[in-house]
Amino acid sequence: MAKVFIYPATSLILSDMVARFGHTPLSSATAIRERIQTAGLESPPLQITPEEAKKGLKWAAVEVPAGVRGRMSLYGPMIEACEAAIIINDADLAFGCMGCARTNELIKFLVHQKTIPRLELNYPKNEEEGVKFVAAIKRFLTELGATK
Amino acid sequence: MTAYTPTHVGSVTKYIVVESFDITPADLAIRAYEISKGAMIKETCFGLVINGKEEEVDRIVAELRKIDPDHIFVKDRGFPPGDARRCRANLGGARPGYNGLEYEMTIIPYISHGLEVLNNKDEKTVPPPDNPLERPVLDISKLKKLIYAQES
Amino acid sequence: MTRPVRIAQLSCGPEYSGIQHEIDEAARQVGGEIFYPDVALKDIHRDFAKFGLDVKSPDLKLTIARAMALVEGRVEADAVFIATCFRCAEAAIVRNELRRYINEHSRLPVVSYSFTERTTSGTLLTRMEALTTIARRRALLARETQNGLTLGVDSGSATTKAIVMRDDQIIGTGWQPTTEVLKSAHEVIAHALAEAGVTRDEIQAVGTTGYGRFLVGKEIKADLIQEELTVNSKGAVYLANRQHGPATVIDIGGMDNKAISVMDGIPGVFTMGGICAGASGRFLEMTAKRLGVEITELGPLSMKGFGGRVSMNSYCIVFGTQSLVNALAAGSTREDVAAAACHSVAEQVYEQQLQEVDIKEPVIMVGGTSLIEGLVFAMGELLQTKIVVPPYSQYIGAVGSALLASGFIKDD
Repeated sequence: MAKVFIYPATSLILSDMVARFGHTPLSSATAIRERIQTAGLESPPLQITPEEAKKGLKWAAVEVPAGVRGRMSLYGPMIEACEAAIIINDADLAFGCMGCARTNELIKFLVHQKTIPRLELNYPKNEEEGVKFVAAIKRFLTELGATK
Repeated sequence: MTAYTPTHVGSVTKYIVVESFDITPADLAIRAYEISKGAMIKETCFGLVINGKEEEVDRIVAELRKIDPDHIFVKDRGFPPGDARRCRANLGGARPGYNGLEYEMTIIPYISHGLEVLNNKDEKTVPPPDNPLERPVLDISKLKKLIYAQES
Repeated sequence: MTRPVRIAQLSCGPEYSGIQHEIDEAARQVGGEIFYPDVALKDIHRDFAKFGLDVKSPDLKLTIARAMALVEGRVEADAVFIATCFRCAEAAIVRNELRRYINEHSRLPVVSYSFTERTTSGTLLTRMEALTTIARRRALLARETQNGLTLGVDSGSATTKAIVMRDDQIIGTGWQPTTEVLKSAHEVIAHALAEAGVTRDEIQAVGTTGYGRFLVGKEIKADLIQEELTVNSKGAVYLANRQHGPATVIDIGGMDNKAISVMDGIPGVFTMGGICAGASGRFLEMTAKRLGVEITELGPLSMKGFGGRVSMNSYCIVFGTQSLVNALAAGSTREDVAAAACHSVAEQVYEQQLQEVDIKEPVIMVGGTSLIEGLVFAMGELLQTKIVVPPYSQYIGAVGSALLASGFIKDD
């Protein structure tokens, strides 16, 4: 089982595909879960404290907005830990955790910097594209399973 | 700042989303209650939210998937079911992630179709989708047309 | 229990900067309740296209759709709080355009704020209080005349002021630098009462404002304890006799600056803040000290000089003072340096604050710094308009408090 970073990290479709075809999706939910299940200082709703924005300095400089750095404190460790990645490039309507375009640009860049198996797609627009989309992901994840 | 004491430590929460003509979230919930050994199950408009020990949740999910594998989708959730911090009733409106899920729900039928087709077809025989990073090569006949349009 | 004021939050980033809790807390402290206008995906598609600002961040698209839901009345709210990350250009454009859009198309009071991970509920409190006041106390803010005998106290960060009013006339004043908050308040009150020739017992209602408003208000049993954004706007349009129609109020204070866009005496959009004391009355005080003149002489001195001859950047009070010293050492005249200091403060307020509100004439300058002619002149030059400085402008908060307090006189 490989740890597969998914983009958008909030995607139901990618999260499902990765788990369905036998791997572990690294998603926003798992990062948020880690925070809300860890004791510390009260900072609802996501239990992301101002400290998180400081931790984000590892991936983005101090002149980068706090929201980017706070988000990077969620995604930075996942990008470092991932062994493969699936990216949907036209995910223009992923809100909340994926709601900041600048963070998203940085995430994609950092994933591209890693020498790991990577699949890039767009969302399917019809049934025919749906078949190609699922087939590509299944192929990618099966091959990943064979090499792991 | 006050100290934060987490609840539901060591548990996982998963969304089970159903997009099907044949089964409803209520059908799924009944089946989940039947096989659950202590996991918390909550029915929602799009499916279920299940919370419990990871092995238990995974076992229920695996069973539920069998009901209609091509039309049931699963993802992790960070918060336990009904958590006030994410609850629509407390926030006045849906959390932003809900609109994202709403968007993917418009794509899900194509995914279901893909899964159905691939039940009887080897995925290796399906041509790859367009690579979004590659700009499409200009078609030679289109290039000719452009050249002639420029000359005339 | 009264219903909480429903403040719609339009934002990008606070949850991820770790400060959402601070926003919720500031609202709660002033009887407000933050909520997110509910929109569906189809609303986002339609409204984002309709608004026409093609931003890339999904949460900003959502924010635009939420703003339109408020303006078009699909979601009800009492006030709007717009918050985006400090230093995000994309969000700053959205924040400004939404603030303008809501202000032009609805009666909802709006405050916009750019936060960092260091933003606390304390920083947001005055802004939230102003929002809830405007939403809850429209009737009180509609007051145009002062009746009876009232006292207003403004416990500011730099100075404490008191005003006694009787039937629309100012009859007593008190002013002194703030040292110990309560002591200063008692002294200015005593002065104002003596000047008016009345006793504390005769006063029918009392109002307090400024940083020390809660402490002083409790001590002197005030009927009205109110933040300075609404009080100062009210005082400004009252003193300038511009109670109807639009106006812009600028208050360069000792610690921070306020820019308020007012309609019929009620604030619509306002900003408060300042990057550094370099853009405040404090910097001008330091300048006066370095030039060896009283702060009251700085204005006349600066009017004799020409600021353009000295390069000065008061973005930071330390560097500002340094360039002041350098300019003097390089042989610049005191007059030119004074003028440059005024220009530098005006410029920073113009760049930092006035971009967040729509400047509508008349522009009224209030607060102690409005007595420094050089500063008023520099601001007028920047805004290309004649600035109105009403009488008693240095007592603005105290006058506003005394005016509004008369709404609390019991009819007996």
